[in-house]
Order: sequence, then structure tokens, then C-alpha cells
Amino acid sequence: MSLQSTPPKIPLRFLRWFCHPDLLEDVEGDLAELFDSRLEKSRFKAKMLFVLDVLLLFRIGIIKNFKPFNSVINYAMISNFLKIARRNALRYKGNTILNLLGLIIGISSSLLITLLVYDEVSVDKFHTNGNQIYQLFRNMRQSESAVVTTESIPKPAADLMAAEYPEVDEIALVSWRMDRTLGAGDDNVTLEGRFVSPEFLNMFTFPLIIGDKNTALNDLGAIVISKSTALSQFGEDWPSTALGASIRLDNQYEVKVTGVFEDPGSNSSLDFDWLMPADQFINNNQWMNDWGNGSFRVYFTTETPEKAKAVGDRILDEITNHTVGADNAGMEQLIVHKFQDYYLYSNFDNGAVNGGRIDYIRILTVVAIFILVIACINFMNLTTARSERRTKEVGIRKVMGAQRFSLSIQFFLEAIVFSTFATLVAVVVAHLLLPFFNHLIEKNLFIPFGEPITWIFLIGTAVIVGLLSGSYPALLLSAMNIIQSLKGKVKKSVSALFMRRGLVIFQFGISTFLIIGTLVISQQLRYMLNKDIGLDKENLLALRIATEETEKLDAYKTELLKSTHIKSVSRNSGNPISYGRSTSSANWEGKDPNTGYEVNVMITDVDFIETMGMEMLKGRGFDNQFNDSTNFIINQVAADIMGFDDPIGKDLSFWGINGEIIGVVKNFHMLDMHEAIAPLIITCIDPSQSFVVMVRTEEDIVQAIEAIDDVTKATFPETNYEYEFVDTILEDSYQVEIMVNTLVNILAGISIFISCLGLFGLSSYTAEQRSKEVGIRKVQGARVSQIVFLLSREYAKLIVIACIIAIPFAYYVMQDYLSNFVYRTLLKPDVFIYAGLISIVVGACAISIKLYNAAVSNPVKSLRQE
Amino acid sequence: MGKYSIGEFEEVVLLTVAILYENAYGITIKEDIETRLKRKVSVGAMRTALNRLEKKGFLKSEFGEATAVRGGKRKRYFKVTKSGKEALEEVMEARKQLWDAIPAVAFDFKFG
Repeated sequence: MSLQSTPPKIPLRFLRWFCHPDLLEDVEGDLAELFDSRLEKSRFKAKMLFVLDVLLLFRIGIIKNFKPFNSVINYAMISNFLKIARRNALRYKGNTILNLLGLIIGISSSLLITLLVYDEVSVDKFHTNGNQIYQLFRNMRQSESAVVTTESIPKPAADLMAAEYPEVDEIALVSWRMDRTLGAGDDNVTLEGRFVSPEFLNMFTFPLIIGDKNTALNDLGAIVISKSTALSQFGEDWPSTALGASIRLDNQYEVKVTGVFEDPGSNSSLDFDWLMPADQFINNNQWMNDWGNGSFRVYFTTETPEKAKAVGDRILDEITNHTVGADNAGMEQLIVHKFQDYYLYSNFDNGAVNGGRIDYIRILTVVAIFILVIACINFMNLTTARSERRTKEVGIRKVMGAQRFSLSIQFFLEAIVFSTFATLVAVVVAHLLLPFFNHLIEKNLFIPFGEPITWIFLIGTAVIVGLLSGSYPALLLSAMNIIQSLKGKVKKSVSALFMRRGLVIFQFGISTFLIIGTLVISQQLRYMLNKDIGLDKENLLALRIATEETEKLDAYKTELLKSTHIKSVSRNSGNPISYGRSTSSANWEGKDPNTGYEVNVMITDVDFIETMGMEMLKGRGFDNQFNDSTNFIINQVAADIMGFDDPIGKDLSFWGINGEIIGVVKNFHMLDMHEAIAPLIITCIDPSQSFVVMVRTEEDIVQAIEAIDDVTKATFPETNYEYEFVDTILEDSYQVEIMVNTLVNILAGISIFISCLGLFGLSSYTAEQRSKEVGIRKVQGARVSQIVFLLSREYAKLIVIACIIAIPFAYYVMQDYLSNFVYRTLLKPDVFIYAGLISIVVGACAISIKLYNAAVSNPVKSLRQE
Repeated sequence: MGKYSIGEFEEVVLLTVAILYENAYGITIKEDIETRLKRKVSVGAMRTALNRLEKKGFLKSEFGEATAVRGGKRKRYFKVTKSGKEALEEVMEARKQLWDAIPAVAFDFKFG
């Protein structure tokens, strides 16, 4: 027999792999015999035939059963695992409760955060063609370094796009939200809505319940109203009566209802109660036809991102190109931003997109994941620490022939049973907590049980949490040495101890990190709310009167001042604390003709400075004794840009008006603290452009409001008005920050609580383990405090290490967070010290409860039991 | 078909096992079928058939001694069981009944 008489290896190996073990031996033998007999004729042919035979053997009946775990685990075994898991859980109730409590709290809080994140991410995603809609933004250079980005675009830019940009399919103009008084019956209501071009209804998915979306906004006298408006104006039978009905607009015009749309839900960033044709608004506001004036938002659709980019490249300098030589030429650029991204990415830094709500979404997501991980770690630590109780069981199982694999399966299964149970309870808990949570975040979230994604998510959570928390126990317990585990003498695995300590450090590191984050975020919030914004915000009201009769405002003001509860009144072209009306036409002595500056202009009356409680740094405020109509006050930022040593008396012109500077006012914030203070010119040139009346009241606000109400009703009987407190407006502008602050506060609390649960479990284990030692020490005369200190040292050390590790990370991350704000609090060391102290103190409490119990217990008890 | 369901190839294999009596294992069965019936039989097809017959209880098997020719693997010898014999008899019986039922003229091809 030649040396090459063995059959080819690869097919043989294949055969051995797939063949049923019962059949393998004789099949292989048959093949070998056959091969030998064929070998006498031709070796090549024998090999080929061997391969062919093996391939033909690959058929049902020969192939072994490949059912997963078939050989190791079966139904009986699984039911045994479940039985043992249940018995263990019931026997060590304390441990089980700690485990489950951590998991339930962790999962339910993550669940709520996920709902919030999901809701935020789904905003504006309901538009059918949503991913083809883009919006134009305008970058305005205000000084060498500052760029302000706005969504108000000069209308001619939209006209130009419609005429000359073939890649753009549709363009929609959308105005800012405006108050209009509507009345169908006797009563008037003031509602916010928008003027939009007819393409709007086609581009966005706001379906009309009645009316034709293609023609609804074609007629200048048309109005489309929301379902809720229709219901309030026309009653229950609006579907039959609303269409074609007349509505009084501002008690002056008649408009005709041409459609009713479903109210934009909370997942739409565009909100409105009525829509009217943009042309109606443009006809009354001819200034909109100038390239120098921003007005509408401009949305357009184009098929692909490439085309959108092409549009963006081409449109960049259109404003500059069309305003060359004009006296209001500014350094302005148009940029393109995806509409659906805008809600989450709405911050512009130096003209480029830089985060927005997405930052908070990320923070919350990361925190939710952290909490889940902390809960899993609890499970791992408690299970492995208590593993001694299971050593005999593991030993016996091994002796009976259990393989490591099946033991791992057992512990994984146990963890998954736990996590599934915890998830179920967590869903109920989350469902019960949802009303409070909604109240907290001012949203209307619900758990969408009807949607498969919810179930996929829940099952996914249960499995992942189970696998994660079961991984380490499964690995550790299944690897035990049989003989030692049966003797009941488990050598303490050093690596397990290290691992457990590492996990505790990790937990407390994250908790400390979160506490630092909480402290910094709330410090920044307090800073923003309490910072001197350059005006006296107490007892200051902003009144908005929806009237065209501006000539009555002088008399109105006089009437208001007659009340003893009102200190002073001033009329403004906008609310000074959220202001954005600007010009690029400002000119002054020595201005570099090559740089364009966008300067805000505020039109007020002579009482402005006094009413707002602002402080003049140089010069004087407006005064009735002088003719101040061409005299201007500027703020510090403007003074710096203009660069005069003494700006008083210097010439300044804008909008073609020449005048001189009479004073410099201390900087005040016109926008929130994300934004730098912009240069500003204050003028009292044309008081008729007043939309907002600022009222400074005396201490008794209630009386003042009554007085305001009386006077307003007497002067403008037909008109609705609204008033807001300036400090409330300020607070509202930090709504997101306040919400995130509250959430992160709560989450940090939860994370430290869960960590402490774990620590509590571990320390009670230590107390149990070392009960004899404690007994002996007590007999020898040790004091309770000494024993507690001795026992807790082990864990206290870990918490301190965790703090030390967490601080640099937190410093780095919080520095990054604060850089989002132009005006920000300083990161001082006390934040880190406080956070460290909080974790150490809270951790120490958790440890000492059990250890104290152990230390005060009677030594006789622990020493006698043998 | 009664309680014994059996396919054509299975019948051939079962009969061959009976023919070979004490020497019925994989290769001999395969070769016997190939020489007697002049048809190609793959190891796979034959093994599946043997397996199926054994599951049905028509065959029983036991391992023989290991031989060097087979790479040290033992032969699995097959034997027809009592119910295997009954199955074969029933098939034959069924065929016979059918043959008997054919009218004489059916096979008279003279005027075909």
C-alpha cells in the first residue's frame, strides 16, 4: 500500500463535521474501503469520486442535528435553571430586592429619557417630502469677529431663485408668527399665524381637511384656519359652514375661509392657527422688496443633497452682488440648511451650524446609558460577591457532567429572567410616572404600546441588560474549580476582587461626574438668570397691542401715566430683551469703507432709558427739553466698534438720517446668553413704529395690571392685548436649559442612588463575611467607631479613587459645555470639591448602615455560631 | 399498502441485505446492487436508505471488527428483521395480487 493511500483530508474533515455521530464511523469506513479499491485504478479518479461521494452524503438523514445547544441544553434543563433561579431569588430576598430595585429604577428612567429623545428627534419628520426641503439663512457680519445668523431673508432673493435657479423645484415664503384678531361671530380672538406663499401647503405636509391645497391661498382675501379655530368660530358643524364663510380681520377687513387644516401637532416646529397669502402682507409692506431688508423665511425644495449644495454654492454672495453701491450694503451671505435638521441644529456659531438642542439630546442619551450601565454593574457585583452561596451548586452540576457552556447559559438565563422582570415592572413604573414627567418637561409624551418599535425596544433592553449584567457572573462562576467548590473552600479570586473594585470605581466615577455636571449646569443657569443684564427686570411689563391705530398710542401713554401704580411708560419697536432689527447702512466718522457692519436699531421714545432702568455711561439720555429726533444713543459695543475716544457729539447716520451721538448706554442683553451683545443704536426718531409698550410699575403689580387693563380697554376697545413680565420672558428663554438642568439633577440623583444600592449590598456582604472578625475585635475591646472605620475603609478608598478619576474628565467635558455660552460662569474648584464630598458622604452613609449594624451586634452571637 | 410502507429503492436494498446475509455492510450492499441490477448507487443514497429502513425497524445493525483496510473503522453489518421480512412479503403479495388480477387479454399483443 502506497503512502498516499489516505483519502483527501478536506472532504473528510467536512464529512466528520456534518455527519451524524451515530453514522460517522461506518460511513467513513465504507468510504475508505471504497477509496482503497478505486485507488488501484487511478489515484486522481479515486480522489474525485471520494469528494463526489462526500458531497452526495450531504443530505437529510445523514447530517447531524444542528439545533442550537441541542446536545447541551434541553427543555428539562431550562426549567430546572428557572426553578433554581426562583428559589435563589426567594431565599435571598434582600439581595434580590437590591438587584431588582437598581434595575427597575435604571430601566424606567432610561425608558422615560428615551421617550423624550425619540420625541425630540421625530420633530418635523412627518413631512412627506421633508428630506427635500431646505431653508435659507443669512449671515450678517456685525463686527470683525461676530457673525449673526438669521432666518429672515430679503424677499428679492427668493424671487431671484424662482427665476434663475433651475435646480430649485418650489419656493415657499413663510412669515414670522404674527398676532391677528379674527372674528366670525360677535367675539374676537387674537391668534398667532403666518403669511405664506401658496406653495407652502404643497411643500409641507399640513393636510387640509376641507378646501383644496392647490388653490386655497391663491386669492388675496383668503384665509386658511386650523381645526381648533374653526371649531371655536363656527361651532360643531364647522365642516359644513366654515368653507366660504367670512371672517373679520383686525375689525377692518373681511377675509374668506378657503380651507381648514389639522392643527400642527407638537412634533412640528412650525406652529400657526391661521395662514394667509404672503402677497397680502407684501402689498402692505413695500420695504420687503428691498435687498437690504430681511423679511420672510425662505424654504425651497430640490431633489438631491448635491443639488442643494449647488444652490448653496451659487447663492452665497447674491445679497452682496445685488447691493453693490447701495448705502445699506452689508457683508451678508446666504447659506442653505436642511429644514428637518434645523430643530435640533439651530445654533450658529460664526455663521456655521454648531449644535443646538442636539447637544441636550446627546447629554441626556449619554446619561441614560450611564444609568443603565450602573444598574447592570450592581447586578454583576452583587451576584459575583454572593457567588459563594452557589459554589456547591456549581460543583455538583459540574460533577454531574455540566459543561462550562451550559453553566454560562444558566447564569445568563438567570440574568435575563431578572432583567425581563425588571423591564416589565419598569414599564409600569414609567407609565405611572409619565404624567409627572410630562409636567416636568412640558410635553405630552406617551408610551406607544401599539407600535412594534416599542416592543422591539423593550425586548432589546431586557436582553441587552440581561446579557450585560449576566456576562461577568456567567464567566466567573462557570470557571470554578470543581474540587474546591465542593469542599466549600473557594479561593478568593484576586482578579474577581479587582474587577469588583474596578466596577465600583466606575459606578462612583460616573456618579461623581454627573454630580459635577449637575452643579455646573445649574450654576450656569443661575448665572444666566441672575446676571445683571443691563436693565432692571423687576416690575417691568411688555405690552403687545395688536392695533393699527398707532396714533392713539400717545394718548394711551398719557392715560397710563395717570395711574399712581405706574412709574413710567415707553414705546418701542420691539421687546428690548429679544431684539433683532438691524441695518447695515450705519455710517460714522472714520468708518472703514471696506467693512460692513450690521448694527441693531431700536426705535423708542424719550422715556426709554428711564423706563428700562438702564444706566448711561457717558453723555445724556433723551430729553423732552431738547429736540432729540436726530440724536442717537449707542451702546458700549457700538462705541467700541466705532472706536471714538469720546463718542459724544460725533456724527452718525443710518437709513439716510444724519444725526449725532449724545450718549452711551451700558451694554444690555438683547438676546439670551448664547449670543454676544450686538452693537446698537437707539433713536426716538419715529415713534409711530412702536409695537411694544414697556411699562414700569410700582411695587403693587396687581393694582398696576388692573390700571393697565382699564386704560387699554378704554383706549382700544376692539383690540386684544397681551402683557408679559420681563423677568418671566427671560426665564422662558432658558426653558430648555431649565428643563435639562432639572432632568440632569434628577438623573444624577438616581445614578448615585443606584450606586449606593450596590454599595449597600456589597458592604452587607462584607459585614456578613467578617462577622467573626468583628466579634473577636469587640471581645478584645474595639470600639464601634473603630470597627465601622476599619470595615468601611475598603470601600471609602474606592469612592475617593473614583472622584479623583472623574474630576479631570468632568473638567474637560464641562469646559466644552460652557463654551456654548458667550456669557458663562467660571469653572471653579469648589464645584469639584462639593461633588466629591457629596459622593463620599452619600457613599459612606450607604456603607455604614450595614457595617454599623454588624459592629453593634452582640459578639457572642457571631462567635457562637459554628 | 398496509402497515408496511416501503419504496422501490428501499425494497432493493432490503432484498440485497437478505441476499448477502452474514456479509451485508455498506460496500458489499452497494456492489451487489451495482452488479446484479446494473445501476449506479452512491454511498449517500444507500446510506440514507439503510438509515431509513433501520428507523422503520426493517433492519437491525451491529458493528463488526475493525480492519486496517478501512482506516481502522469498524464495519456496520445489517440484518433483516422479522418485520423487514413481513414487509418484503407484503410487497410481494401485493404485486402478486395485482399480477393475478390482470386479464389474460391485456398482455396479448398479437393484434397490438
